[in-house]
Amino acid sequence: MKEFNYTVQDPLGIHARPAGLLSKLAKTFDGTVVTVEKDGKVAKASQLMKLMGLGIKQGATVTVKAEGENEDAAIAAIEAFFKENL
Amino acid sequence: MDYRKCAQDIFAQLGGRENLVSVAHCAARLRLVTVDNSKIDKAALEEVDGVKGVFESNGQVQIIIGTGTVNKVYDEFLDITGMTAATKDEVKNAAAARMPLWKQILKTPGDVFVPILPAIVASGLMMGLVEAIPKFIPAFGETDWLSFLDLVANTAFAMLPILVAVSSARVFGGNIFLGTVIGMMMVHPALVNAWTVGNYAPGEIPVWHLFFFNVQQVGYQGHVIPVILAVLLMSTVEKWLHKHVPEMIDLFVTPLCTVVITAFVTFTIIGPIFSAFESIVLKGAEALVSVGFGIGAAVMGAIYPITVVMGLHHMCNVIEAGMISSSGVNFWMPIASAANFAQFGACLAVALKVKNEKTKSVAVPSSLSASLGITEPAIFGINFRFMKPFVCGMIGGACGSLFAAGPWAHGTNAAGEVVKFGAPVYGVTGIPAIPAVNNLPFYLIELCIAAGVAFVLTWIIWKEEEPAKKAAPVAEKVEVPTNPVIKCEAGTVLAPVAGKVIPYDQIPDPTFASGALGTGVGVWPEAGVVVAPCDGEISSVAETQHAIGITGAGDMELLIHIGVDTVAMDGDGFQALVKEGDQVKAGQPLVKFDRDKIAKANHPDVVVVLLTNADDYSDVKYGANI
Repeated sequence: MKEFNYTVQDPLGIHARPAGLLSKLAKTFDGTVVTVEKDGKVAKASQLMKLMGLGIKQGATVTVKAEGENEDAAIAAIEAFFKENL
Repeated sequence: MDYRKCAQDIFAQLGGRENLVSVAHCAARLRLVTVDNSKIDKAALEEVDGVKGVFESNGQVQIIIGTGTVNKVYDEFLDITGMTAATKDEVKNAAAARMPLWKQILKTPGDVFVPILPAIVASGLMMGLVEAIPKFIPAFGETDWLSFLDLVANTAFAMLPILVAVSSARVFGGNIFLGTVIGMMMVHPALVNAWTVGNYAPGEIPVWHLFFFNVQQVGYQGHVIPVILAVLLMSTVEKWLHKHVPEMIDLFVTPLCTVVITAFVTFTIIGPIFSAFESIVLKGAEALVSVGFGIGAAVMGAIYPITVVMGLHHMCNVIEAGMISSSGVNFWMPIASAANFAQFGACLAVALKVKNEKTKSVAVPSSLSASLGITEPAIFGINFRFMKPFVCGMIGGACGSLFAAGPWAHGTNAAGEVVKFGAPVYGVTGIPAIPAVNNLPFYLIELCIAAGVAFVLTWIIWKEEEPAKKAAPVAEKVEVPTNPVIKCEAGTVLAPVAGKVIPYDQIPDPTFASGALGTGVGVWPEAGVVVAPCDGEISSVAETQHAIGITGAGDMELLIHIGVDTVAMDGDGFQALVKEGDQVKAGQPLVKFDRDKIAKANHPDVVVVLLTNADDYSDVKYGANI
């Protein structure tokens, strides 16, 4: 399992649009589950609704975990996505 | 009805246990005394299931619940709050202690005269019947029954000072039996009867010479104010003596001194001064009623309901009782009757016109009770609450009073003297007073005028207000679209709002248009409410309330997003009506949004509905015509 922590910089937090892009990205790694955790609440990154439901705002720190066959590639791609978009 | 829940809901609006001083109940109301009435949320109280109305009176908060149920709610209320049962009197006194002095003084006549009402009602109605029956059955007038019933009927009035004295002693906290003695003394048979004193030549009336007072030996038949004051004095003297006389001799010294002192002061000072004062008051009342061909009466008829609201209408009882015992006719009674019956008319108009079930259920019985002369439920429960019916009732009362008090209203008796229109009774108005009035057709016309004017005015002027609180989802008519916008093998998704449907690639936002978030449509809304496009469970509600997720049949993950970039509005202009985890039905309102605010914030208000997991299905159709 791989993981990283990230503090959200985007003024609007993880709202619908980035959440949609993230879930889209998360679905591209076969056999790998990516989760996002905030304050003890965990959502699968591939589930857009659950992801939005976390209500992640600017300044919140989230923990992203990837587990499965492609966890190395997944965690790298998603960390890059966070840095670029959030 | 769930009494416990009702009591809990009431308690929740009262500003906490520490805000409550005492609680009691009467036939239909819960009566509360609180530290600070302003801490009570009256609007919320009125919404409590089981509560028919709330008002403040004499420092009390009164919650109308209903006969037969109030006692059960009351028991639960005591249980919940841990308060102990207070009697109505305790609550009244606790409230009275918080009333300003002038109000306490104004309240006293009511306290004195209301308890003796049964005696007045019995005598007054019987007097009316005794006078009316011989008119229809002349033979009856020749039987002994007439004189017998006449004696029975006028006893209460002939001996009125005794009743007043007993009642006053109770109010002022004096010994009731000593108070009775004072009252009996003032109508002692050895004194010249005040009603027949006119038959005596001035020199014939016996006089006592007591110190430098020359006291005429005349009784106080037909007076009430001197009696009340005599008993007030008596109670004060008695209490003072109880405190200052050694206990050993208290039993015989205190009553003796109390009676002697009171008797002396009553016959020498209080009696002469205040019987003269009372005569002036009665003349004044008479003048007021007849001034300007009834204009004065019309004014009285108009303001009478205000005195009811303030709880001061029993003040008039002093004057009314005085009128009856001095002239046999209470000519204020038609005014009170017109005023009360007009409130009945106004309340009836509301009862027939109103659509709100709860208001109707209060208005119907209240108007019936008002027609019988008990106007408090109608005034507090309906008319005064909506104000306009109350004012219409005042106008109706003025019209009825004007008719009743004009010069045309008076008749003459056998001796050719003018007899004013009225009744030998107070405290009875409306329909129950019919047997007592001395001119029945006239009385009926008066009531019709009063109630008729009030009814018609209320019917025209008063309009039912939409209940503001429930306006949000219910009052606003939500047009529920039925056109499908997305279809796949798992199910059909309808438009979330009425309006022009565009495919997702035409949504004015690159992310939505790219399909990155899913497949679906945008709708240019024609209304400000988004409804559920299918049955399902709310899977998420954005904190900013502009986006909602629904999981529908076959695990369809739907995103409804109102406007583009509206996340920047931070919730202003959006109001979610559901929360995460709610089960919703297609067509159920989900979010209210303010299109003007979105326009002002310079965002397109297109409502986006996307199937975010469209990849999971093989045959997804979307668009306006599918």
